[in-house]
Amino acid sequence: MEYKNKWNKYISWFLTKPKTTGLFVFLILNIGVSFMIQQRIEIIKENERREMQRILGNLHQNIDQCLRNCYTTSLTLALIINDNGVPENFEFISSQLVTSNSCISAVQLVPNGVIKYIFPLKGNESALNLNLFNTPSLRREALKSIETKKMYFAGPLELRQGGIGIVGRLPVYKKNKFWGFSAVVIKLNNLFKVSGVDEIDTTKYYFQFSKINPNTKKEDFFLPIKNDIDIKRQISTKIPDGNWKIYLIAKKQSYHYSILFLPSILGFGLSLLLGTFVTMLLNRPKKLQQLVGIQEKMLLNSEIKFKTIFDGAPVGIALVDANTGNFLEINKKFCELIGYSEEEMKTKNYQSITHSKDLQPNALFANELHEGKIREYRLKKRYITKSGKIIWTNLIVTSLSKENEKLDTNISIIEDITLQHKILEDLKKSENQFKSLFKNSPIPLWEVDLSLVKNYLKDLNLINTNTKIAANYFEQHPEVVQKCYTLVKIIAVNYKCLQLLNIKSKQDLITNLEQVLDKDTINDFIAQLIAITQNNHQLAYETKIKNSLGESIDIHFTWNVIRGFEKTFERVIISTEDITSRKSHEKLILDSRQKVESLINTIDGIVWECDIETFTFTFISKKVEQILGYTSEEWLNEPHFWKNHIHPDDRDWALEYCSIKTKELSNHDFEYRMICKSGAFIWLRDMVNVVYEHGKAVSLHGIMIDITKSKNIENDLNESFNLVSKQNERLLNFSYIISHNLRSHTSNIASIVSLIQASETEQEKEQMMELLVSVSSLLNETMLHLNEVINIRTNINLATESLNLKEYINNVMKVFSKQIISKEVTITNQIPEDLTINYNPAYLESILYNIISNAIRYSHSDRKIVIDLKWIIKKNKKILQISDNGIGIDLVKNANKIFGMYKTFSNDASSKGIGLFITKNQIEAMGGTITVESKPNEGTTFKIEIL
Amino acid sequence: MSLKTIWVIDDDPIYQIIVNKIIKKSELFLSVSSFKNGKDAIDALKDSLEKMDTLPNIILLDINMPIMDGWEFMEEMVMLKSKIGRSIQIYIVSSSIAMEDKIKAKSYPQIIAYLSKPISPNDLILITANN
Repeated sequence: MEYKNKWNKYISWFLTKPKTTGLFVFLILNIGVSFMIQQRIEIIKENERREMQRILGNLHQNIDQCLRNCYTTSLTLALIINDNGVPENFEFISSQLVTSNSCISAVQLVPNGVIKYIFPLKGNESALNLNLFNTPSLRREALKSIETKKMYFAGPLELRQGGIGIVGRLPVYKKNKFWGFSAVVIKLNNLFKVSGVDEIDTTKYYFQFSKINPNTKKEDFFLPIKNDIDIKRQISTKIPDGNWKIYLIAKKQSYHYSILFLPSILGFGLSLLLGTFVTMLLNRPKKLQQLVGIQEKMLLNSEIKFKTIFDGAPVGIALVDANTGNFLEINKKFCELIGYSEEEMKTKNYQSITHSKDLQPNALFANELHEGKIREYRLKKRYITKSGKIIWTNLIVTSLSKENEKLDTNISIIEDITLQHKILEDLKKSENQFKSLFKNSPIPLWEVDLSLVKNYLKDLNLINTNTKIAANYFEQHPEVVQKCYTLVKIIAVNYKCLQLLNIKSKQDLITNLEQVLDKDTINDFIAQLIAITQNNHQLAYETKIKNSLGESIDIHFTWNVIRGFEKTFERVIISTEDITSRKSHEKLILDSRQKVESLINTIDGIVWECDIETFTFTFISKKVEQILGYTSEEWLNEPHFWKNHIHPDDRDWALEYCSIKTKELSNHDFEYRMICKSGAFIWLRDMVNVVYEHGKAVSLHGIMIDITKSKNIENDLNESFNLVSKQNERLLNFSYIISHNLRSHTSNIASIVSLIQASETEQEKEQMMELLVSVSSLLNETMLHLNEVINIRTNINLATESLNLKEYINNVMKVFSKQIISKEVTITNQIPEDLTINYNPAYLESILYNIISNAIRYSHSDRKIVIDLKWIIKKNKKILQISDNGIGIDLVKNANKIFGMYKTFSNDASSKGIGLFITKNQIEAMGGTITVESKPNEGTTFKIEIL
Repeated sequence: MSLKTIWVIDDDPIYQIIVNKIIKKSELFLSVSSFKNGKDAIDALKDSLEKMDTLPNIILLDINMPIMDGWEFMEEMVMLKSKIGRSIQIYIVSSSIAMEDKIKAKSYPQIIAYLSKPISPNDLILITANN
């Protein structure tokens, strides 16, 4: 049975694969044909081998015959030797022998190995008297004949008399003693001729003749060796008489396979034909088989599809027994929804898991279905899951029974709609919430339907047009606006709204709505219409409306399209918050702010406010533009504007002072300069107050007042005060000088006078008188000096001239020309050539004279006088510097005195102590100053400032 | 009462002549020496100290002088104080009426008084009497 099965299986395997089977048949037939042809080849080969064997046998036989003749010949020859060992009648016998044996070319008698007799002698003379035993190449084979005592054929060998031949030697014994050989010589060619070699078909075979060389033991071949020899196809046989071997070798040559060619082709073609035939034959059931397979598959597919739908459906599907309500078949989703496993479900009926409230209606439907009144029913019902939860489902039950055919199976499909149910519930709830919110809102609310308006505007092609175009349109077509207004549908208004408008009911509002519309509200309404054209879902602005009494109310109008109605504008919530009181407050604040601001701006000072930490200004009054030239914006936009615009000389201390005071939280005021926009600077008095908020210092505010005028006056005053004090000092100084100088003389006069009065002799009196004269002249001189000085000091408007300084100095030098030459004074005048100064010429001459004469007078005795004159400009001051290398002055002691009157610093009689005093006065009268630097024994430098 | 030696230090030659005359006339002093500036006087003083000569009892000192004025002379005197055993009485005799000079004079204990020129025989009598 099993075997049969297996067999069937193989057959069906072949049947289903016609191509493979065809190929299989073809191969088997092919192998059979091949085998047959192989057999044929073997037969041909065998025939050939037999042919060769026959030829070789003939050859062997011929050679053998020839050799036997040779033996007879040599034996006959040996018999002619008499008892004395001398051949008798050799010539005659020999000639007989040679002629009777065609293969023998010569006969020899070789007594004791020396060839003595040869026939025919002619042509063989060279072999006569050859000693075989003394010739190495012949010796071995000669001895072999003696050893075997038989005839032995030596060679083939190179014959002495020429050519290749074989020599058959028969040892001859006389009186049991070796006499010598009786020999025959056979030319090799003759041997082959006799053996019938020439008759062999040379197109088919080769003949070969070999001998093991007795000396070298190698096999020597005596016929040329051909290349195209098939070694496998040769046969050989041995000839013991000469140790030879003869071969017959087949030439390499294709057999006559041509005779096999046709059967092979025929066999191949036949098998190919058969294979194709089988393939075609078997193809038919295979196609049938395939058709069956496809249909099977389709059937399976639809079954799978159904199963997949049943199992994988997102809805619960169950087959239910119509009578009992038991679940027969149930899908995964159903199980999932209800929470029981498939096995558990199969033990239940639908009634047991249905909510008690839905049992009744379900049962009614089920009855009707059962009775065939309806084909199916739909029901929203609740199930109770395994965990006790209630789920809402959409149930569809269809009877599977067809018309006139009753089946007791229903199919129920359930869809979980718990979530939708919940959403719906929530929606209801939120709607209610919205309603109550709307109704009780403290803000006036309207719910309106603008869909008609929108549709109307759409008809007018105004939706999504440019705002300006829409605005223009509405302006030019008031009737459209009016129409739109009538299209506004009020769905609801809340109580607060009615209150605001002083209207009793919604109905009143609807009837009065048009009365509410006036010029202002029309503009607002146009704004709303434009918002609709732009699809704006939100709008807010502040405006005014009138209530039924005609009172104007400020409102904050906002407009929101309810979500979900964005396209249609079916539901729009409008709130109109009453902001009348807020508006009035705002106005109050604005008014007071304006008042304060105008007040601040009238103050003749810059009012400001800044951060207490950073000094960043938060406010600056407009006055700043008038006083400093900067606008408030410029000031406020730059964080460090104030710091950056304080005069550089005042900046550091002003900032330090301000930050110290601010840290102390004390109010302060200080004065500093600020740089104007024009670049000029202005003196400001800044009065700063700390501002507290909730007890914490938060900012500084203050006022800056322009005090430049008073500051300038103060400075002028200070300057003139300094001038007056200086003048006063100088005057006092001068009065001291006068009193001192005059007193020294007057006291002398007084003393002299009293001495004159007390004089006792005339001589004494005269002496005193002389003294008095000299005192009076000195007094006179002093008076002149003082006069000169007073002249300098009182000369306020000195005449000045433009003088070339260098030239002028050179002129003064001429006065000293004698001294310069005698004392070898070097004067280096480094004043620039073209330098001119405005100076009084007399004073300049006097100043130069005094200083240079001092330089010459107080020269150092160790060195020649060098005087340098330079022009120096330092810190905007023009200075004439005159330095010498003279004795110098100890300035530590004499700094105060050097420019004093009658101050001398040497015992030089010519020193009067008036020159530098006058010089100083002259320089000062010209508005300049003179200073001196000196070191004893090194020199002195005067610096004269010239304005 | 032994006669005293007096030095007059002043750069005014006429004043020197006059003072010499007055001193000699008064016959109150043993000897009178004249110096035209402080430097000459201090050199003479040092010289006397070295030679153990008699030092002056009284010096009439002017303030404004070349080379070494009265105040510089006083500075030198302060330095020599230890060497000069008995004190030398110094009188400033000046034509200066400046208050600052008078105040400065009081700062030196050696300066007995500040006299204004012209000096009179009476002044000399007072000077000697004060001694």
